[in-house]
Amino acid sequence: MSAEMLAMSEYGRDPRKHHFSPYADNGGTTIAIAGDDFVMVGSDTRLTNYSGILSRNQTKVFPLTEKTMIASTGCWADVLSLYKDLQAKLTLYSQEHHDEMSTPAIAQLVSTVLYWRRFFPYYVSNMVIGLDEDGSGVVYHYDPVGHMEKLRFSSAGASVAQIQPLLDNQLGALNMKDAVPPKVTKALAHQLMHDAFISAAERDVKTGDSCIIYTVTKDGVAEEQVKLRRD
Amino acid sequence: MNIEAPPLWSNGPKPGLFYDFPGRSVGQSLVNDHAKTHTMYPTTTGTSVIGIVFDGGVMIAADKLGSYGSLARFRNVERIFKATDEAVLAFGGDIADYQFIREVIEQKVRDDECGGYSKQLDAGALHSWLTRVLYNRRSRFNPLWLDCVVAGFRAGKPFLGFVDKIGTAYEATEVASGFGQYFAIPMLRSAREKKSDGIFTQAEARKVIEEAMKVLYYRDCRGFHRYMVATVTKEGVTIDDDLDLKKDTNWDLAHLTKLL
Amino acid sequence: MFLTRSEYDRGVNTFSPEGRLFQVEYAIEAIKLGSTAIGIQTSDGVVLAVEKRITSPLMIPATIEKIVQIDKHIGCAVSGLVADSRTLIDHARVECANHWFVYNQDMKVESVAQAVSNLAIRFGDNDSDGPAMSRPFGVAMLFAGVDKSGAQLYHLDPSGTFLHFCAKAIGSGSEGAQQSLQEAYHKSMTLDEALKTSLSILKQVMEEKVSSTNVEVAVITKEKGFTRHPQDEVEKIISAL
Repeated sequence: MSAEMLAMSEYGRDPRKHHFSPYADNGGTTIAIAGDDFVMVGSDTRLTNYSGILSRNQTKVFPLTEKTMIASTGCWADVLSLYKDLQAKLTLYSQEHHDEMSTPAIAQLVSTVLYWRRFFPYYVSNMVIGLDEDGSGVVYHYDPVGHMEKLRFSSAGASVAQIQPLLDNQLGALNMKDAVPPKVTKALAHQLMHDAFISAAERDVKTGDSCIIYTVTKDGVAEEQVKLRRD
Repeated sequence: MNIEAPPLWSNGPKPGLFYDFPGRSVGQSLVNDHAKTHTMYPTTTGTSVIGIVFDGGVMIAADKLGSYGSLARFRNVERIFKATDEAVLAFGGDIADYQFIREVIEQKVRDDECGGYSKQLDAGALHSWLTRVLYNRRSRFNPLWLDCVVAGFRAGKPFLGFVDKIGTAYEATEVASGFGQYFAIPMLRSAREKKSDGIFTQAEARKVIEEAMKVLYYRDCRGFHRYMVATVTKEGVTIDDDLDLKKDTNWDLAHLTKLL
Repeated sequence: MFLTRSEYDRGVNTFSPEGRLFQVEYAIEAIKLGSTAIGIQTSDGVVLAVEKRITSPLMIPATIEKIVQIDKHIGCAVSGLVADSRTLIDHARVECANHWFVYNQDMKVESVAQAVSNLAIRFGDNDSDGPAMSRPFGVAMLFAGVDKSGAQLYHLDPSGTFLHFCAKAIGSGSEGAQQSLQEAYHKSMTLDEALKTSLSILKQVMEEKVSSTNVEVAVITKEKGFTRHPQDEVEKIISAL
């Protein structure tokens, strides 16, 4: 410590602890699983700041169109702003082109929007989920600056490190000898998603309270909420 | 090698220099060579704000202290104000930023009234507006150092929302900032969970708010005994601005503590 | 219209007392001096055929380019002041590229027409630097393409108006050609029929004798996108007329 720092009173130094950061980690976990004619996406409903629970009932999955949704976790302020921006862009698109935006088009748009902020990123883990133009389920996963990957299943957010290996194993039949990936039915996807959230809530303080699971099919979006541990 | 004399008194003005603001290291030149800098820490601050939803309305509370670092500098600062008949706002954080945003909101409300072209701003609208303002300021690295609680009605239903200095916004049946997050929230939530239907009456809400303010006064060094409570119901806004916890607290255990 | 010409035909922002914008009408007149261009939409694709005016035997006909590619799935035929069309074509190409960049999908033909229309009507704009343009673009365009709604043909004129057509003719021979199109067009027309029809109508309205060097033909299909019709193929169709 320099003589100057020692000479500085505690009172003088104290507010430095408040040094401004534009980002926060507000936790939250999301999972998405695509089937042949459906896609299922879920999030926990806990919103945190450090160890405090801000809300026990906040979904992180938002509707974009009749057949597309976005699941976003990370810095909640950025999540809200990104979603608002996308909603505005989607409205303008549908007014300009007299058509609802397709899931692959939204997927590309999200990548572009994220990359615009390459040097002051939205601190958000995103997944775009929906039905593509052939009606089959798709999942797109992003990094915060717009790298995009099209997948059959994925997870994101606080408990990704626990959930992704589970999905890889159970749905991708990875890390096993002579294993064959199962046919993904709604029942299997739902069971796996529910179990994954329960396990994550056991181990991760930033995941819990309840989970909301949305199922997107050609007939619309069905919603279901299941309780998780609240401690 | 620092050859300057140490300060005469903690954080006070050094001989021949101006007052040293908190956060500025001693001996640092007041002439600043950056092209432009922004406020990156608060100066005079208010501590926690808390709020809960009850049957038919919302109630929020905040004490009246403006702290200057650890100095209890301003002892009659109002941190709650009525924006419209269906929206009250409470602020923690930098008092100057609060006074600034209050002016802006009051002008918005006046413009609205004079124009007469829109329904008066409700709590939901102000909450959304504040989220955009605070997020924009943080994105320009010039934040308004605030924790905001917005209480009132949205589309005829009770509304309680929170926004912080980076634009983190959410709605909940109980909200709190600062130490309130640690002390008040558990009290408010457990009180609600004790109710079978989870719904407070206005009187119950008032009681649990008082209890929470008392604990905050006991345990938060930046807390204070004089406080305000604002209640919004269908009938409108009522603000009690001269409440005092002094008579309800007992400091006998703290032998060396003298009440202000 | 020249009888009612008055001081109201100077500014592009001044209506005449009868509610007309003369400068825009004059721009539309300019199209009628241009070479004839025809577009026919069928269920399989769209045909574009234009006349090239070879004004000198020393001119190299291949340098006249009145059908251009906008994107892989959209072509455009122009008539009028061809130099004016370059600005609009550039704009259309940029819009398509941007649409692909942002949405990773082909832009709809209607959206391209809309985007170009937005630029075409900016002749009325003014800002602190003075007027954005001195006059309307003196060009009409036929946008032909295949998008998710199938084969599409759009017509855009200097007023910025754009409309969807089954078949449309623009340029000096457009009146006669449009009449012939109305008679010849039917909903179940094939692409080959459309090629034949467009060239036979060009043959009727052109002053020069039609040949594979003084016409330009392009076809836009779902399978191949925008393709120029080879000269020998054009020759075969013409000789069979």
